[in-house]
Amino acid sequence: MTTLVVTKRMAEHPADSHTITRYQATGGYQQAKRALGMTRDELVEEVKASGLLGRGGAAFSAGLKWSFLAPERPSYLVVNADESEPGTFKDRQLLERDPHQLIEGLIITAIANEAHHAFIYVRGEYSKPARRVQKAVDEAYAAGFLGTGIFGSDFDLDVVVHLGAGAYICGEETALINSLEGLRGEPRLKPPYFPAAKGLYMKPTIVNNVETLSNLPHILALGSAGYTALSSSADTGTFMMSLSGHVRKPGNYEVPHGITWRELIFDIGGGMRRDRALKTWIPGGASAPWFVPEKHLDLEITKDATAEAGSMLGSGAVIVMDEDTCVVRAAERIVRFFAHESCGQCTPCREGTSWLEMILRRIDEGRGRAVDLDLMLDLGDGISIGLEWPPRMTTICPLGPSAVSPILALRDYFRSEVSRHLEAGGCPFPGGHIAGEEEEEEE
Amino acid sequence: MSVWSEPTRQRATEIIGRYPKRRSAVMPLLYLAMAEEGRLSEEGMREVAEWCGITPAQVQAVASFYTMYKTEPVGRYLVSCCTSISCMLLGADEVLGAIEDQAGVPDGETDKEGHLSVEHVECLGACGGAVAVQVNYELIEGVTPDRARALVDWLRNARPDVVNGDEMQELFGTRRSFEWAIHEEDGAVGPYPAFQPLGTVGR
Amino acid sequence: MTDRVRLSIDGVEHEVAQGELLIKAAQDTGTYIPRFCWHERMKPVGMCRMCLVQIETPRGPAMITACTTNVADGMVVDTTSEAVKRSQEAILEFLLANHPLDCPVCDKGGECPLQDQALAYGPGESRFVEIKRTYVKPIPISDLVLLDRERCILCARCTRFSEEISGDPLIEFMERGNLTEINTFPDHPFSSYFSGNTVQICPVGALTAKPYRFRARPWDLERVESSSLFDTAHPRVEVHASQNQVLRILGVDHPNLSHGWLSDKARFGFEYLGSADRLSTPLVRGGGRLVEATWPEALEIAANRLQLIKDEDGGGALGVIGGAQGNNEDAYALAKFTRVALGTNNLDCRLDDTLSSHFLAATVDRALIDDLDTSGTVIVWGPDLKEEHPTLYLRVRRAAQELGATLIVVHPRATGLDDRAVVKLGYRPGGGFALLDEIAEGAHSDVSHALAAAKVTALVGLASLADDPRLPESVAALVRQKAPGARILPLSSRANTYGALDMGVAPDLLPGRVAVGAIGCANLAESWGDIPSRPGRDTRAILEGLVSGDVRGLLLVGADPLRDCPDRTLAGEALEAAEYLVSIDAFVNDSNREADVILPVAVFTEKEGTVTNLEGRVQRVSRLRPAPGQARPDWAILEDLAALMGVGLGLGSAETIAKEIADVAPVYAGVTWDLLDWEERDGVVVPMTGDQPLNHIPVSLEGNRAPRAALTLHSARVMYDDGVRLRHSPSLSRLAPGAVAHLSPVDAPKVGAREGATLRLVTKKGEGEFRAVIDPGTPAGVVYVPLNQPGAPSLGADAVVRVTVVT
Repeated sequence: MTTLVVTKRMAEHPADSHTITRYQATGGYQQAKRALGMTRDELVEEVKASGLLGRGGAAFSAGLKWSFLAPERPSYLVVNADESEPGTFKDRQLLERDPHQLIEGLIITAIANEAHHAFIYVRGEYSKPARRVQKAVDEAYAAGFLGTGIFGSDFDLDVVVHLGAGAYICGEETALINSLEGLRGEPRLKPPYFPAAKGLYMKPTIVNNVETLSNLPHILALGSAGYTALSSSADTGTFMMSLSGHVRKPGNYEVPHGITWRELIFDIGGGMRRDRALKTWIPGGASAPWFVPEKHLDLEITKDATAEAGSMLGSGAVIVMDEDTCVVRAAERIVRFFAHESCGQCTPCREGTSWLEMILRRIDEGRGRAVDLDLMLDLGDGISIGLEWPPRMTTICPLGPSAVSPILALRDYFRSEVSRHLEAGGCPFPGGHIAGEEEEEEE
Repeated sequence: MSVWSEPTRQRATEIIGRYPKRRSAVMPLLYLAMAEEGRLSEEGMREVAEWCGITPAQVQAVASFYTMYKTEPVGRYLVSCCTSISCMLLGADEVLGAIEDQAGVPDGETDKEGHLSVEHVECLGACGGAVAVQVNYELIEGVTPDRARALVDWLRNARPDVVNGDEMQELFGTRRSFEWAIHEEDGAVGPYPAFQPLGTVGR
Repeated sequence: MTDRVRLSIDGVEHEVAQGELLIKAAQDTGTYIPRFCWHERMKPVGMCRMCLVQIETPRGPAMITACTTNVADGMVVDTTSEAVKRSQEAILEFLLANHPLDCPVCDKGGECPLQDQALAYGPGESRFVEIKRTYVKPIPISDLVLLDRERCILCARCTRFSEEISGDPLIEFMERGNLTEINTFPDHPFSSYFSGNTVQICPVGALTAKPYRFRARPWDLERVESSSLFDTAHPRVEVHASQNQVLRILGVDHPNLSHGWLSDKARFGFEYLGSADRLSTPLVRGGGRLVEATWPEALEIAANRLQLIKDEDGGGALGVIGGAQGNNEDAYALAKFTRVALGTNNLDCRLDDTLSSHFLAATVDRALIDDLDTSGTVIVWGPDLKEEHPTLYLRVRRAAQELGATLIVVHPRATGLDDRAVVKLGYRPGGGFALLDEIAEGAHSDVSHALAAAKVTALVGLASLADDPRLPESVAALVRQKAPGARILPLSSRANTYGALDMGVAPDLLPGRVAVGAIGCANLAESWGDIPSRPGRDTRAILEGLVSGDVRGLLLVGADPLRDCPDRTLAGEALEAAEYLVSIDAFVNDSNREADVILPVAVFTEKEGTVTNLEGRVQRVSRLRPAPGQARPDWAILEDLAALMGVGLGLGSAETIAKEIADVAPVYAGVTWDLLDWEERDGVVVPMTGDQPLNHIPVSLEGNRAPRAALTLHSARVMYDDGVRLRHSPSLSRLAPGAVAHLSPVDAPKVGAREGATLRLVTKKGEGEFRAVIDPGTPAGVVYVPLNQPGAPSLGADAVVRVTVVT
């Protein structure tokens, strides 16, 4: 049922999908060469027509993003490989297993955006993926696909693999640009600092995600019509989903848009581990408001259907929790993440997320108070006025409001579970699951 | 004035040459400073400041923003256990506890010998292979408490010069996020990421 | 009109300038939107989120920060909606959650934006029951500033100031998230010349100033607005005192001057006012010592002796040095006293260390400070502005950094503006003319190119003691030749020098920029009577006259030539040779120690008056407290002295003097106190017009060549030195670098000097020991010595220096 696009090569050639030899033997770099013969307008139009949405989480039209590039030059290209949203590990697979696909997408993007200097910003903890990409970059240089006069043309393109150093916030594109400039990874004000106008070194800059760029060679190869035909839903192409938590078969899955959550979790994901009941899942990375089986299991996995239900597909990370999960601790863990990763600029995010974390830990440890859930909702309102999703953005970036999502889940679906913590004077759930042990049992 | 060795200075010059503006080289140079001394010292930050043409305070402002620049002494092996949501759901807290117990080193600290450091970290991007542990940023997926204990013992006894992910995965890992497929020789030589342009790769 | 937009704020329509930030537009039209991080003189960061307001959008109401949003036509703004109020309460609750609430012992208490806004917009109580964040309580981050991180609300005002405004990014955000803190690098203090500004703009009590800490509560302070004399731009200040002691000085945002920023010298240099060493009674020499005397006794002795010399050898046997420390009224009194009572033009407010009086006072195309903002090119060939002209330093920095001016800096070594300079040229001290010739011949195309810009402003002065005093005039001539229409700002850095020159405290100037000569004297005759019409001796000539015996009596007015004249040997010999020495001063200093009579004078904050800054702006200075003991204003002393010499100066009071100035000094016509107090509170720029009595357009001069020597000496003034006011301001006096000699990393090994080594420096005019500083900012071949340092011997103006290592 599934047409593989970005993971096809690694599925068919597991042993050497990362090499330039295999990449070229399977048609690689032909589209980059072709792109050299196309104008910026042609490329932008083709990508617009393909309906390709950014795969980093914001799901914004990639072609439209390119079309906003201001005329000033030089322009820069930055590949966002700072994948850090809890639950997300798809880009890591693309980086490790098919780095040339990314580089070809990068070349196409650089040509379309007249950029001669590109940076691949890989999160610091991805040292192996970074090594793989660097090797691929070296191979591409040696082959004349990067550097001075690529493919024998008069187009120059230099690529620098830049290693992050442990900051989720640098996945936010303006924070990433600051980081790349040697500043603290704090998001910039938008307006005025839209990267397409005032990005890296205040020059027009395109920031695209790894999966987004990996799609580009295929869009040129298939043509925008061929690419849109891959999907029967309004969202075009395929979509990588990272499945984790209490499913039997966690992993990355390249799926067509429009399957349902039931299909994803119970068919593709192999169902719930130990046959426990599904309690809740997070549909689009730790930032996203949670879903519950009673309401959301048969919804289609599309951008719009998910948004209508009050959440988002985000980076495509699905975190599944079974009936034995303590949602207070799960919420604490997610809030802790955002508190830890807050850059500290905006008062509500800096002070509010860590305050929420302290309250959740108190409840989990049996020191909760009856007023705490309402207090958390009030604090959440202070961070994200109106407690809406998508948030009304009363902070510079959406990190703070993301920390409120688990609190909303507690309010909407798990009020009684919070009360049980108060009554029990601590967590009423048995200890956590020990994955490996069970795995070994099952084997 | 420079406290860096000649090869490091040479590499610093190369790294700066890759960026349109020298300040952009702050992050790789901070790694270089760590590789030079095993951690990020005040001297190291002063040195980076000079290379990048900014003040030491500006360097520290950057260095302290990120978790991977360690200003406190770090052991030869930095064991990082992911305890974010997906790993937590599959027993990360127990795995961390096992590492702390076996190493005799509490979360966030280093043993007396300067051998092992233990830390809990946020999501490592290996959620499909929970629980994820890294040693010097080389990944092991599907770690259980028992395997974590064995890992600690191995680091204590075998004391590998180069920490190799494939080898550790073989010995101490189980389920992976995806097939790694390709065997890699490279590995880390210290508590900082192994990456060719930084010259911090073993083998 | 296209440059105006209409918007509605809380239901009221306003028309405001396009491009304005909403928070500013609202404030200017009467709606105060609360804020912590926004500061009018810095770029918005939108961090505190206190200024969130609601606007209407096609997609419904949206919350935006007023400090980061530009006004737009048709914008509908609600600053009091329910959501806005909820948000404001939340922000305050978040900010106060970890705030220590130690207001009773906090310097900011009573004038604290956090306190005020918590009262006005806060929730009234905190629901934070967790444990507060704690830090080690105040840590010194410099010699002048303490940091209490618990009180900090992370508004980034101090970090932005030090990075954007002063260019000393030494104080930064460290860590992240709720562990974010402000701090400095270990052992690398916030040693900025402008650090005190961060204390003033801190919206809480996180940054406090050592000189003010725990000294007063704000509601107990008496306040008056005045002008600082520690900077010849005369930035506006507010002086605060309690029980007649000045406790602090704050900057006042004057759009044409410093924008409210002050150097630490201007901010903290007030301790001398209350020094126990201030002179409070007249002193006369008796039995070889200075002993206290009554005013009538002291005045009579002084008057008799001055009169005697005048009677025996004429006024030419008398000389007057000083007059730049007082107000214009004092300077006018001195100019009149010298001509009318002493009968001489031997009078100079300069100490042989600056430019020609005509160049300083009457450059016809003199620039305004504001010209910097609209300049295409700014050229600074003169002192390191950061050391000697802090206000200009900030304004030039802003022009280059924010307003797009091309900056050219010419100076023998590194300066504070180099990081913003597009072109930086150096030269061997004493060798400026050679470089000037090169530029004239087109050798530096980048300079020629920059000088072709639409508007050029040149700031010229003496970069080094070794510079030929005529070099700046030649630089100005070259700039005019290459850039017709350029504006020139001649630089001098002593207190009220420009005012004193305008009042005629110079051997060749009369009040109102009139040359000494038949016409000028004739015009003054009605009020001054018959006065000598030939130019008198300048400071150097007076000193030489004393040595030769042609000058017998000397009056020093707030002057310490032994400290301030470049040629200390000459000054020493002259003072030794002086037959009779009268000093009007606030302190005993090196030069008046052997005086026959010392008359105690009232100083800053102790007398009303006006001063004139380097662009010709006349402003008021105000009285806040009495002078110590029997100290009196200069003019009153001079009036009595003249009376005892049989001459009535007819001065009366400072205010009547001001009226007389407005009457007799042509360019000061109409500049009265009333005008400055009520209509022109930002001061009045005395016009540089073509019809002013003296037009000075200097021509290119041929000057000396650089001496041929292995090492040349670059002596220059720095912010903190051993001047008498700083010496008696303990918070600042310890900041002086002391007797140091900077060597380049190239020369240091050649002479065998290590950092901290003791060096012996020998010139034709002096020698002594200095501590070695290895300094990459000093080029090879140059030895840099900060002038007038505590414990530092004088080396004179000679450029050739020999350096040997002692230890």
